[in-house]
Amino acid sequence: MAGTFGSINATASALRYHQAVMEVASGNIANVATDGYARRRVVGEAVGAPAQPAMWSRFDGHGDGVRVGSVDRLVDPLLDSRARREHGTQSFLDTRAAALARVESSLGEPAGEGVSSALADVRRAWQDLANNPDSAATRTQVIATSRTLVDAVAGQRRNIEAEEGDQRASLLADVSETNTLAHDLAAANEAITAARLAGNDTSSLLDSRDQMALRLAELTGGTAVENGQGGLDVTVGGVALVTGGKAGTLSVASGVNPDGTSDGQPLGLAVTPPGGTATAVTGLRGEVGGTADLLGGTLPALRAGLEAVAQQVADTVNAAHQAGFDRTGAAGQPFFSVDPSAPGGPLVLLVTDPAQVAASAIGGGPNRDGSNGNAIAAALAGPTSSYQQFVTGLGNDVASVRRLAATQQNLTDQVDGARDQLSGVNIDEEMVTMMQSQRAYEAAARVMTTLDSVLDTLINRTGLVR
Amino acid sequence: MPINRVTQSMLTDRSLTRLQGSLSRLADIQEHLSTGRVLNRASDNPGDAATAMRLRASLGEQQQYARNAEDGQGWLASLDSTLGSANDMVRRARELGLQGANAAMSQQSRDALAAEVDQLRAALVDNANTTYVGRPVFGGTTAGSAAFSESAGVVTFTGDTNPVNRSVADGVVVDVSVAGPTAFGADGDNVFDHLSALSTALRAGDVTAVKAGITTLTSDSDRLVVARAEVGARTNRVDLAVTRAGDLETSLTNALAEIENADLPKTMVDLKMQEVAYQASLAATARVLQPSLVDFLR
Repeated sequence: MAGTFGSINATASALRYHQAVMEVASGNIANVATDGYARRRVVGEAVGAPAQPAMWSRFDGHGDGVRVGSVDRLVDPLLDSRARREHGTQSFLDTRAAALARVESSLGEPAGEGVSSALADVRRAWQDLANNPDSAATRTQVIATSRTLVDAVAGQRRNIEAEEGDQRASLLADVSETNTLAHDLAAANEAITAARLAGNDTSSLLDSRDQMALRLAELTGGTAVENGQGGLDVTVGGVALVTGGKAGTLSVASGVNPDGTSDGQPLGLAVTPPGGTATAVTGLRGEVGGTADLLGGTLPALRAGLEAVAQQVADTVNAAHQAGFDRTGAAGQPFFSVDPSAPGGPLVLLVTDPAQVAASAIGGGPNRDGSNGNAIAAALAGPTSSYQQFVTGLGNDVASVRRLAATQQNLTDQVDGARDQLSGVNIDEEMVTMMQSQRAYEAAARVMTTLDSVLDTLINRTGLVR
Repeated sequence: MPINRVTQSMLTDRSLTRLQGSLSRLADIQEHLSTGRVLNRASDNPGDAATAMRLRASLGEQQQYARNAEDGQGWLASLDSTLGSANDMVRRARELGLQGANAAMSQQSRDALAAEVDQLRAALVDNANTTYVGRPVFGGTTAGSAAFSESAGVVTFTGDTNPVNRSVADGVVVDVSVAGPTAFGADGDNVFDHLSALSTALRAGDVTAVKAGITTLTSDSDRLVVARAEVGARTNRVDLAVTRAGDLETSLTNALAEIENADLPKTMVDLKMQEVAYQASLAATARVLQPSLVDFLR
């Protein structure tokens, strides 16, 4: 049998417990729109008989009320790691899709004033020259349209190079954000371990830990594993970046100078694990992976493709031009050269004197033959179709990466939805919990009143006759 | 995806995503309408983009073929009229020869005939040096300004016999010139020599030589007629090429429009549908996001 005041204590525990429940519910409601907040739930447990009462005694109570067993943070580590993986892939694809779409729209094809329309103008000018080889105007027109073509090709190369420059800058920014985050995550890991030892609530620390791990995954596609002390260990490209309270660094080993310019080397990334030596990593996902992929393959390949078209233009025009004869009857000079490092390159126009344009196919002296103009116009069909292939290839790449990104978006949304189902706050639910606790609190208060009146009877009315 | 528990942030996130999706579809249709094109960049439809670029290149080629052919028409028209008047002159000289061959004619009259033949010859030399946009039409690809030149009473061909080619269709090249010797005879045996000989014969009163001159002039006239017929045949080819290039241009433009351009009625209907869908999703969002249990607790 419990003591006289036993029931009062049990009731007091109920008041305390329900206060705690309301407190947690109000905390949930307050954070309904907080990013990365996982809802908490109070798990109550009945206070019953001790497992082992005092020696040679037995416990004859009937329960001593209720207490807060734990405040659970409703998360599923499996879903969290799934979300990190999907977000990493998503940002990888998004980075690629955005950059390629920018390059593509700068091409101005298929209908704009891009290289293909410049090529068409050049062909037209050569044919007009074939019709009127002795006209200074048509000769000048050939030079002028060829210069426009040179400028158009140079413009496209500049667009690709500008995109490469942007990507290098964003790679440096991403790498530095990664390192800051890795450092912060290590600090959070340490704080969690300390708070656990002290018995403090770690929920909000865990929220920010998960947020940081998710952002790290978005940046690098790094995988995170719980380390048994409440912290997350992050591995990037197979090398540890964060281990417990210690953070390593991600660095650009080659390819990009600290000022964002290219150093001419292929791009290389390295991770230095805490207390270890730098190890080269490849195949990263996330924004860094996407940028590395663009810088290490896609964009240089595009530039090379454009240069190959330029080379083909130069080769075909030169071959045909050198087979012809200019206004004076002298053999034609090379018309274009290819120099990727020239300021207006990759194509360089070599013939600038209209009289040197080799319109004639008949040598040995000045004449008014224009058949070489026809030959050059016909030869330009090859480069035109190569350029079309180049544009179509890029269009296919953009369409494909966009499709992949859209598909991935569905998957990412689905995983985010599943996480939100578990961890998100539902206001209705919290209101119901509040009402429940409120009523329970009221009932406990009523019990207290009843007990009080029972004690009143016992203390004040016992033995009174009247 | 099975939904076990709906949360406020889920509702907002999803509503936002769907509104965004709806809005971006609207933006796509708006782009189609405002540019009038469904193919604005290669990735919109890589296959169609490749076709469109090929069609555009062919279209440019056809337009150029038409330009080339029109230039060729000018050459051929000028050749035709030149050859026509040259033939008239040669025939006139032949008639004069026939008159001169009449044994009863006085030498004075023959001298008058000879003077006219000399005039005709001078006119024919000018005729043979007709130019089209600054180029002698019988001179081939010569850099000089005349196809025939006269020195010491002898007219020689100073042009070359290279063809003046125009590409009028894919793989079709037409020579739009006639070489001087083809029309007027080879040096030393050309129509000008024959006219000089006729004039000399008339002045000398040599009836036999005049008759011989008439015979040679007949063959000169035949040569001119053949050359003119050849020009006519080529004109036909070029005219045909112009028509065909025009037809092809029309059909290529149609094909290009089919691929690139937006189907206006369909796009308008799509726009209307998207608009309705967007408004519906806005209305739904407004209704779903608003209520919570709080509204009903008193």
